[in-house]
Amino acid sequence: MTARGRAGGGFSVEQPLWRAVSAFRLLTLLYAVGTYPRLAGHYQDRTAGWVYLGLLAAWTFATVRPFSSKLRCGWGWLYTDLAAVVAGILLTRVFDSHAGVLQGDPTLPTIRAAGAVLGFAVMGGWLPAAVSGLAVGLADIVEAGGVTASDLHNIVLLMLAGVAIGYVIEVARASELTLARALEIQAVTRERERLARDIHDGVLQVLAMVQRRGSEAGGEAAELGRMAGEQERALRALIAEGLAPNPSYVAPVVRRRSRSGPDAATAGPGADRSDLDRSDLDPSGAGSDGGAAEQDLRSLIAPLAGARVTVSAPGTPVLLPGHAVRELGAAVGAALDNVRRHAGEQAQAWILVEDEPDEVVVSIRDDGPGFDAAARLGEAEREGRLGVSQSIRGRLRDLGGSADLFSAPGQGTEIELRVPRGAAGAAAGTAAVPGPRTAGSPVAGPGTNQPSREGSAG
Amino acid sequence: MSSDEQAIRVMVVDDHPMWREAVARDLADAGYDVVATAGDGQEAVRRAPAASAHVVVLDLNLPDLPGVEVCRRLMRHSSPPRVLVLSASGEHADVLEAVKSGATGYLVKSASRAELLDAVRRTAEGDPVFTPGLAGLVLGEYRRLAAAPAPADARTPAAPQLTERETEVLRLVAKGLSYKQIADRLVLSHRTVQNHVQNTLGKLQLHNRVELVRYAIERGLDDGR
Repeated sequence: MTARGRAGGGFSVEQPLWRAVSAFRLLTLLYAVGTYPRLAGHYQDRTAGWVYLGLLAAWTFATVRPFSSKLRCGWGWLYTDLAAVVAGILLTRVFDSHAGVLQGDPTLPTIRAAGAVLGFAVMGGWLPAAVSGLAVGLADIVEAGGVTASDLHNIVLLMLAGVAIGYVIEVARASELTLARALEIQAVTRERERLARDIHDGVLQVLAMVQRRGSEAGGEAAELGRMAGEQERALRALIAEGLAPNPSYVAPVVRRRSRSGPDAATAGPGADRSDLDRSDLDPSGAGSDGGAAEQDLRSLIAPLAGARVTVSAPGTPVLLPGHAVRELGAAVGAALDNVRRHAGEQAQAWILVEDEPDEVVVSIRDDGPGFDAAARLGEAEREGRLGVSQSIRGRLRDLGGSADLFSAPGQGTEIELRVPRGAAGAAAGTAAVPGPRTAGSPVAGPGTNQPSREGSAG
Repeated sequence: MSSDEQAIRVMVVDDHPMWREAVARDLADAGYDVVATAGDGQEAVRRAPAASAHVVVLDLNLPDLPGVEVCRRLMRHSSPPRVLVLSASGEHADVLEAVKSGATGYLVKSASRAELLDAVRRTAEGDPVFTPGLAGLVLGEYRRLAAAPAPADARTPAAPQLTERETEVLRLVAKGLSYKQIADRLVLSHRTVQNHVQNTLGKLQLHNRVELVRYAIERGLDDGR
């Protein structure tokens, strides 16, 4: 990772900063050399001053390359650079006349000292910058023989600049690392998805083959085949689920619209009802409950598919508010339990999900013996055996929908669950719905539309 | 054991040798004439004309060309074969696309040997082979087309619509009823039920073709000027 981070400096925001440091060192050197002749009059040892500046210039020009990028620069260069300017500051006291020092003459390296501090900032961040700034500052104080106001001022400015630049470089480095990691994860994910698709396809093929051959061979192999078939369906449902658009992409938009009732979601069924009523009065549809982020109903229904359950659904997401999806999913689960209980373990079941402009319809059919609707349903409901009245019908009623049970002789039993779009919450956001609440009174609508299918259920 | 004149000519396209051979063997054993097999899409498109198969059993997941594209290219021939999609993948969008571009049947690979043989026979006869899953997809597609915003210009063909009866039949197919059960329930003849199912596919395929032609013309005009 270190190597990558260093190499990352090559194309990053860091590289321009190094170039800036390099340029800053050169320019400040020129400034120092340019300033010296004006002050040389104060000096008791002018030649020594020139010698120092000559050495500093040679050093600065010689180190242009190391200081131009992080790859070439090491701590050794930085320490040497710092030592060079600190020495220059201290030598000012030796070479300059006492009067000149007291008068506050600039030091020999002048602002070239800041170049060293910037090097530390860009290399190591704010802490090395602060420490090196402090070193330069202490040298200044020693040179002046005490703390003067202008010195203090300069020291604070130098440290501030160093710390600020050091901090910026740390932030830049961190965000660059994050970006690199994100790109890496993205690439890995894409590759994994590609691999998964191939692997899944292969596994599906083999499982399907085992099932087919197993059931033909009979006996123990048939049992193996059945298990393979179950796994195949489960895997296929999983893949289908993974390929469906992630509901969380839809969620934030819808959630923002419906944040007005955050307490209603947690306040139990009673509060739910009153909230539902409120949202019916609210023409904007924004007053629905807090858990109303839209979800794809298929993601809950598809996993129900198995050896004895076939799921049919549209190829596009069937969006309903989250709580409606959960309730509807639970109702479908209850209906499947009913199939097992009353039509037998061996009965086949078919689930059909339909996405109509004003309602979502889920039908569950089994191939059991069925019953004569008019004669049996009333009795069955009295006995509570079908369980339709409680867990299924109740849930649907809470969603403003309906549950109808009917049966044709010899064609099993069918239960049809209808959830109107408007009443269940903020479904108005989907493109498939031309007008949010065009259907007059959605709560009363579906129930009265289905009198012939009601039997004695009402 | 299978080359009497009445035998149905079948081509099997699947990239898994295991499957390709198993399907071909099953079909040959049952008296079908397996005239060709192909392991990838290019090969399938190349060999189909010479093989002049009645039915192409097509896996949608192929290494080179998408199965949907293979289906489209097969349909371009002067006497296109009938395509039965046999797929292990759960990628419903692909199945729907294949059906829209001309495939007349869909079967999951976990279907039994008897179901496969029956599906090939019915496909050869021109009978659409619907699974409940496919019926659900087709129903959803009609609703999606109906819900799409109305076309802005007159050249855009109107979205196809199902008659009430067709919707009813398709819903029953999606709920797992056999054609016979549907015929009983709706008091129709078996043949009428078949016709209704066939119409639902036909309209979708026609709409798809018209859309493609319109698209091609638009592109052609844009490129020309």
